[in-house]
Amino acid sequence: MTPNPIGSKVEQLAQALAERIVPLIVDAIDVDALIDKVDVEKIIERVDVEKVIDRVDVEKIIDRVDVQKIIDRVDINAIVDKIDIDSLVEHTELGSIIARSTTGIFTEILDVIRAQGVGLDDFILRWGNRLIGRGKRMANWPDGPPLLVEPKVAQ
Amino acid sequence: MTTVPVPAPELTVGRQGHYAGAVSRLVAFGTDVGASWGAYAVGVALLNLAVKLVTGHSYNLSNHRILAFVTLSVWEFVYFSYQWAVSGKTLGMAIFGLQVVTKEGGPISGRQAFIRTIALGLCLLTLGIAFLGIVFQRERRALNDFMAGTAVVYDWDARAARLRWMARKEGPLRHGPEHTTPAA
Repeated sequence: MTPNPIGSKVEQLAQALAERIVPLIVDAIDVDALIDKVDVEKIIERVDVEKVIDRVDVEKIIDRVDVQKIIDRVDINAIVDKIDIDSLVEHTELGSIIARSTTGIFTEILDVIRAQGVGLDDFILRWGNRLIGRGKRMANWPDGPPLLVEPKVAQ
Repeated sequence: MTTVPVPAPELTVGRQGHYAGAVSRLVAFGTDVGASWGAYAVGVALLNLAVKLVTGHSYNLSNHRILAFVTLSVWEFVYFSYQWAVSGKTLGMAIFGLQVVTKEGGPISGRQAFIRTIALGLCLLTLGIAFLGIVFQRERRALNDFMAGTAVVYDWDARAARLRWMARKEGPLRHGPEHTTPAA
C-alpha cells in the first residue's frame, strides 16, 4: 500500500504553520500581566494543606535522612571558632557560675576588704566636702570617666 | 563556713568604673610601698651576699647612702611606671581593685605612666597636699593625675563578688529581701 501524497503534504504544511504561528502567539502573550491577574491567595485558600500533610509520610522521610552524614559534614571546630566566648561569659550567667566555682578564702577576704574600702571612700568624700560646705554640689559630680560611666542627667 | 555579711549593692555591683576614693587608693599605695621596699630589701641582701661570695669582703649597700638612695629611687620608678604602662595597675591596685585610666576612661599610654610616676614623686614632696584633689576635686584626681591626664577607677569584678556572697548561704543576709534566697 502506497502512502497518500496529499495527506502527507497537508501534514507538512500544518507542521510548518505551527512552527511559525506558535512562537508569534507566545511572544504576543504578556506573561507578567497574566500572573498579575491570577489570585494566588484564592488558590492557596482552596488547597487543603491538612490533606496534603496527611498524605506525606514524615516518618519515611526522616528514616531516609542520614543524620550521621550531616554531622560528618558539619565542621564543629569552625562553629566553635565563631563563638565569642568573652561575649558569652559577659552576657550569660556562665561568668558568675565560674566565679562561684573558683572562689576561695582569699577571694572572700579580698571581696570584704574591697567593699569596706568603697564604704570608707564614700564616707571620707561625703564628710570631707560637707565640712567645707560643698555637700549639695557633690550631687552633680560625675561618677566616673565618660567612657566608663554614663554622665548624670541634669535635674 | 563564713559568716561574712552581704554588703549593699551600692558598695559593689554598681561601682565598677566609678572614680576611686581616698581610702582605697591610700591602702593600695601603702601595699605598693611595702611590696616594693620588701623586694628592694631582698635584692640588696642578695647583692651583698653575691659581692661577699665573689670578693670575700663583706659589703653593705646601705653604707653608701647616696648610691642606696639612687638605687631605691630607680627601683621605685621602675616598679610603678612599668606596672602602670603594662596593665594600668600596680600590685597594690590589683589587690584593692583599682585601675589607672585616661581622664576619658581609656587605657593609659606608656608616656602617661612615665609622667604619672615622675609626678607621684613630686607630689610626695608636698607632704600630702597634692593628693587633696582625691577628696575635694569633682573627678577625684590628685595632682599627678592632672599632670599625666589620668584618673583612678574601681575595677574589681564586683558583680562576681556579689554573686559569691549570695552563693554563701551560711552568711547572714541582712540587707533586705533581694539578698535572700527564694524558697524552693
